[in-house]
Amino acid sequence: MDFEYTEDQERFRQELREWLRENLPDGWQAGERPGTDDPEESVEFLLDWQQTLNEGGWAGLHWPEEYGGADASLLEQVIYNQETARVDAPARINAVGIDFVGPTLMELGTEEQKERFLPKILSGEELWCQGYSEPDAGSDLASLSLSAERNGDEFLLNGQKVWTSYAHVADWCFLLTRTDESGPKHHGITVFLVDMDQEDIQTEPIHQITDETDFNEVFFDDAVARDEHIVGEIDEGWEVAMTLSAFEHSMSDVFSIEQRWRSLVEFCREHERDGKPLAEHTHVRRELARLHTRIQAGKLTHYRNVSKQMETGVPGPEGSMDKVFNNQTEKKLENFARRLLGANNALWTDGPDDGQWVTDLLMPYGKMIAGGTKDVQRNIIAERVLGLPKDD
Amino acid sequence: MDFRINDEQRQMRETAREFFEDREVLERARERIDGEAVVDDLWADLSEMDYPALTIPLEYNGLGDDVLYLSLLLEEAGRVALPAPLPETLAFGAFVLDELGTDDQKEEFLPAIADGDRRLSFALYESGQESLPRDIQLAAAPTDDGYRLDGTKTLVPFGEQVDTIVVAARTGSGTGMEGISLFLVDAERVDSEPQDTLDRTRPATKLHFDDLIVDEDALLGTEGGGGSVLQKAMDRYTVATCAMTVGAASRAVEMSSEYGSQREQFDKPIGQFQAVKHRIADMWMATQAARSLTYYAAWALENDEPDAARAVSEAKLFCSEQLTQVFADDIHNHGGMGFTSEHDGHIYFKQAKAWETFLGTPTEHLDRIADSHEL
Repeated sequence: MDFEYTEDQERFRQELREWLRENLPDGWQAGERPGTDDPEESVEFLLDWQQTLNEGGWAGLHWPEEYGGADASLLEQVIYNQETARVDAPARINAVGIDFVGPTLMELGTEEQKERFLPKILSGEELWCQGYSEPDAGSDLASLSLSAERNGDEFLLNGQKVWTSYAHVADWCFLLTRTDESGPKHHGITVFLVDMDQEDIQTEPIHQITDETDFNEVFFDDAVARDEHIVGEIDEGWEVAMTLSAFEHSMSDVFSIEQRWRSLVEFCREHERDGKPLAEHTHVRRELARLHTRIQAGKLTHYRNVSKQMETGVPGPEGSMDKVFNNQTEKKLENFARRLLGANNALWTDGPDDGQWVTDLLMPYGKMIAGGTKDVQRNIIAERVLGLPKDD
Repeated sequence: MDFRINDEQRQMRETAREFFEDREVLERARERIDGEAVVDDLWADLSEMDYPALTIPLEYNGLGDDVLYLSLLLEEAGRVALPAPLPETLAFGAFVLDELGTDDQKEEFLPAIADGDRRLSFALYESGQESLPRDIQLAAAPTDDGYRLDGTKTLVPFGEQVDTIVVAARTGSGTGMEGISLFLVDAERVDSEPQDTLDRTRPATKLHFDDLIVDEDALLGTEGGGGSVLQKAMDRYTVATCAMTVGAASRAVEMSSEYGSQREQFDKPIGQFQAVKHRIADMWMATQAARSLTYYAAWALENDEPDAARAVSEAKLFCSEQLTQVFADDIHNHGGMGFTSEHDGHIYFKQAKAWETFLGTPTEHLDRIADSHEL
């Protein structure tokens, strides 16, 4: 056991820090956030950032070199996460493509699919979305019913997806469909890569509680999918979907939560109540200490999971803990932040934080639903780690 | 950075687990609860495995292992509520000797500890309400050829089952870190009174020092200069108790998982009900988190990292606030059985509760964490 980083790893960190300093958008580190008021401008801005990352060689950090990646070790990825969190770097708009679709294609895609799709995922030329949930298939994802029916040398897609992030701007969709209804629900699911540029696919933005509209309902009305865009075997898409969600679970929010904690400490030093800085109030000090303890616990546990993954090569069910535990931490932290505002907590965009803290407060409540609710994650832990009996 | 335990550490843990099971250590903890004397025999067993030699330096016939290694062993010890002063002897006693002892003192004590011939504990509390080490008041007045100790100590772990007690006293007046002196006192020379403890696997003793005269060479380190090493020893001991609590918590998670899979109500195993299943998943998560904090604290202490003191407080805070809940949940998961003395849950629960405020309440640790961030 050793918590020191090697010289090579520290060099990697320095290189990244320097690159970020030179390449972050103008004014970013002074707190300017361009394009946040206008959704279209915001997408444009994030696409630019994706290209900047790619030109710097950072976009496909964990991708193998043969696909244009940097072949970074897991620890280098951890360092990347730490450093980008430290400067609150812009979001990676094509995270679905880079973190999930790309790795899945490398693992299960055909040579043609890899050649056709991988380069444009990295460059951000093609944005991806993930067509999973349906109105009647949420936590019980395998009961999905959007149908893909053979029609000559193509398939016709009919049905609806929901909660599809970035579907309104995505070029392609990693889509779970039903190709056989006769057997058990985990059988008869097929994954297609679907071109979103079709008139028979309509997206309707969903108004979220944050007032944002990042996700959508997506309606398929005789839209077309092709044989060469099937991932894995026909009717065997459930395994493909599970491959993808394993990659999803190896991520952690803990570094951005840690950064948020640091910025709240600054806030507490700079703002006063009853004639002294918040940071000198006993209850504030103690709450910050308790939150830091939880963040450390989450971070160190993440390191332990990563160390284990270095040995086994695959993320384990421990990733479920990462999600649940750190999500609880984030909620505690953001609720604490709101209380720091005193009665101004009642204000939204007119608050001292211009409303950003409201988004920060609300987002974790959504994150604990997306990609498997905390209840689903607890089932995973109880069944796969502790050997408790499965739900009926 | 690598958070894995290595093959040797893994091997040591497996051996320890088998050994503790083979020697029925948990059964002996129950005997200890019933008031039987178990420490002498148990110590002979531990010595067979060289466990008392673990952190003693090589030059004093020890094995020269570090706090992290000791923590891994104590995690196994915690699973069986080891009713013996191993944390006291190694994490505290041997550490202060190694830090402050003269060559003669080291020569006298360390090889004897390593050989299993000498056990140590510490006497710190006086009222049991005070904040340590700041409020230590027991008077040590210099005499011509030694010191006169006067006052009462309480909550001395295994006070009647050890050979030597490290006594913290004050030479001079006032409060604070300055003026604290540590003395090695032969346990037999002190008037002692056993105390009934919440965690009966670990006895405690009240010690009356009525103008007890000790020799000059009983002093550890310099007169009045023992405060900072005492704080470090308290930190090591705290991490040792965290490691035992983490081991106990893993055992609680296992017991709940096993019971949840076997016990049926409404025609199915109760572990199939999410109310139970999710509670056990939460117990597991808390245990994992506490383990991460504990390992890091041990590593940070060993390497004198700048955040070592904070890391200790964070591990202790988390164990105190979150793991007591794990033990409470285990009792609850076992229903009526959980409330019987037959189920092991209460042993761990009581130990965790007893340690919750020992050598620092959660509030004191919160303040220490806040101080370390210059808040």
